[in-house]
Amino acid sequence: MATNAIDQTRRMLSLVTYLRERPGARVGDVARAFGITQDELISDLDVLPLCGTSFRGGDLLDIDTDGDRIWWHNPDDVAEPLRLAADEATALLVAARAVSTLPGLRESDRLALLRATAKLEEAAGEAAGASSRLSVTFESEGGVFADVDRAISERRRLWIRYYSPARDQLSEREIDPIRLVSVGHTYVEAWCRRSEARRTFRLDRVAEIKILDEPSAPPEMELRDLSESLVQPAAEDPEVVVEVGPGGRWVAEYYPHDSAEELPEGGLRITLRTPDPASLRRLALRLGREGHIVSPQDLADSARSAAREALAAYDGGAEPQG
Amino acid sequence: MAIAKAERLMNLALCLLGTRRPLSKRELRESIEAYVEAFGPGPGAAFGPGRSALSGASSGSEDSFNRMFERDKDDLRELGLVIETVENLDGEVGYLARRDSNRLPPITLDAEEAAALGLAAKVWQQARLAGAASGALQKLRAAGLPEDVDPYEAHGALEPRIPVHEASFEPLMLACRDRRSVVFDYRKATAARPEPRHVEPWALECWRGHWYLAGWDRDREAERVFRLSRITGKVRSRAGKFRADVPDVVTVRETVASWAGESADRTALIRLRKGAGYPLRAKAVGSRELGEGWDELEIPYGHGLDAWLVEFGPDVVVLEPAELRADVVDRLRAVAKG
Repeated sequence: MATNAIDQTRRMLSLVTYLRERPGARVGDVARAFGITQDELISDLDVLPLCGTSFRGGDLLDIDTDGDRIWWHNPDDVAEPLRLAADEATALLVAARAVSTLPGLRESDRLALLRATAKLEEAAGEAAGASSRLSVTFESEGGVFADVDRAISERRRLWIRYYSPARDQLSEREIDPIRLVSVGHTYVEAWCRRSEARRTFRLDRVAEIKILDEPSAPPEMELRDLSESLVQPAAEDPEVVVEVGPGGRWVAEYYPHDSAEELPEGGLRITLRTPDPASLRRLALRLGREGHIVSPQDLADSARSAAREALAAYDGGAEPQG
Repeated sequence: MAIAKAERLMNLALCLLGTRRPLSKRELRESIEAYVEAFGPGPGAAFGPGRSALSGASSGSEDSFNRMFERDKDDLRELGLVIETVENLDGEVGYLARRDSNRLPPITLDAEEAAALGLAAKVWQQARLAGAASGALQKLRAAGLPEDVDPYEAHGALEPRIPVHEASFEPLMLACRDRRSVVFDYRKATAARPEPRHVEPWALECWRGHWYLAGWDRDREAERVFRLSRITGKVRSRAGKFRADVPDVVTVRETVASWAGESADRTALIRLRKGAGYPLRAKAVGSRELGEGWDELEIPYGHGLDAWLVEFGPDVVVLEPAELRADVVDRLRAVAKG
């Protein structure tokens, strides 16, 4: 984590309080308690002896370390626990409230969050006020979430019937779940036994789920940061170009893309990549008069013929048969 | 090399917290090495703790010292420090951070509650709030928050993340916090060009990974909800008080859900090919088999249903109402002509 001066100052203020209570604290333990690397802690410890608790200098913090333990030789009562700032209270309270509303969360965890939130609100006092101006809702399917959570903690394999919007099909898979990730929607990251690959599945697309007796055995792998984009197109994936009018600008908000050039009259020319361009037929159909596929030609043609086939059922606008 | 900002802020904080009486700006300037080094000991100083090459301050450096001092105090206030400004007997302004107004009230959290907050502190992906959340946790750690193993890490499995990709988030968050009105250019979903809006911001809400702002639109004199990704250019805050009353409860999600067609008050009847359209089936309020590979479904009919149904191409046929049928046919014709 990049450290800016504000965050470092805040951390050092807490650090002196913490160190006063724990003479001879170990570098590794303190770094862990503060959620920072040992190098970051050491750089804080380099600054602290240059800081004084009283004006006119002279009275500097005599804090030093041998690289293993940390000693403060002249502890001062300046180091009392400090009240929470408005942003600090907001950041923690909004996050805790958001997580506590996650459908499917274990009841004991939800209760712990609610208790902690109430205590924090009280301790923060006025600083908690602004936290009501920010809120976050995570979407999840409670029943599916609870089963995935249980399968992960019991290390068991899952069977799911999963909906693929690209193909408008349900398919059955066995998966070894690794973790649950909530970014707006909630996903399970898992090793898919069928495709022999790591996949993420959105919980609201799981039509059916069963916990199997077989143990889960996902291969060892490095966990990626999934927050930026769950869909990570590869450079070698085919390119699709879509042109939209002002009414189709939402495409750029929902589809990760390489570029979006402004067109006259408020339109966009969007270039994106997907391993399976046919999966964008739905988008082409949805756009209607608000946009069209420029390339590849196959995709544009398949949307056109799907629309013609669909229109045939309406028989020129009369009542359909059947 | 200039003394690092964190060292300067730390010294200022410790001086203000350590003193029992208000310290004048002059006293603070003389006793903090970073100020002495950058601006000299200050006018009329009898002595200083260190001599710098820049001593013998000009009025220019006096101004820059004042600016830096004000910014530093603001930064410390952002960290939660309550700094009082007091006039002493000689009429000189002094500053101090009283212990009792800066002390965290006693708070005792058990291991489970501590773990819950540990999880919550990792949720923000936005630099300012991520920093604030870890800062809060560090203050609580310093005050004795237990450091037991995170139960989620025991099975490594739950990662809630709040995504913030919109540049307008931070200025709007601060404006909501400080109740300052803002102006920004906003492009409505179907508009060709952005238009300037003047808004009293009430609340921000994240739903399905997107951020929305609710507030009072001064030009339209009405409550409005804005999607942050449609704000173009910079958000600028304006001085002055809010004109409209802030409601006790601000509802953002309900408004957005109605845009998304989730507040349906009617139903539609469609024909759906067997095996297709699982999400339509999951939403259906009634269904029956028609035979010959088709089912009939009754589904909620809200805003945007026509666009959604068209996605299924020839696997869906709208039966009623006629209005929805016409909308779908219209859309299909546009694609067929393509």
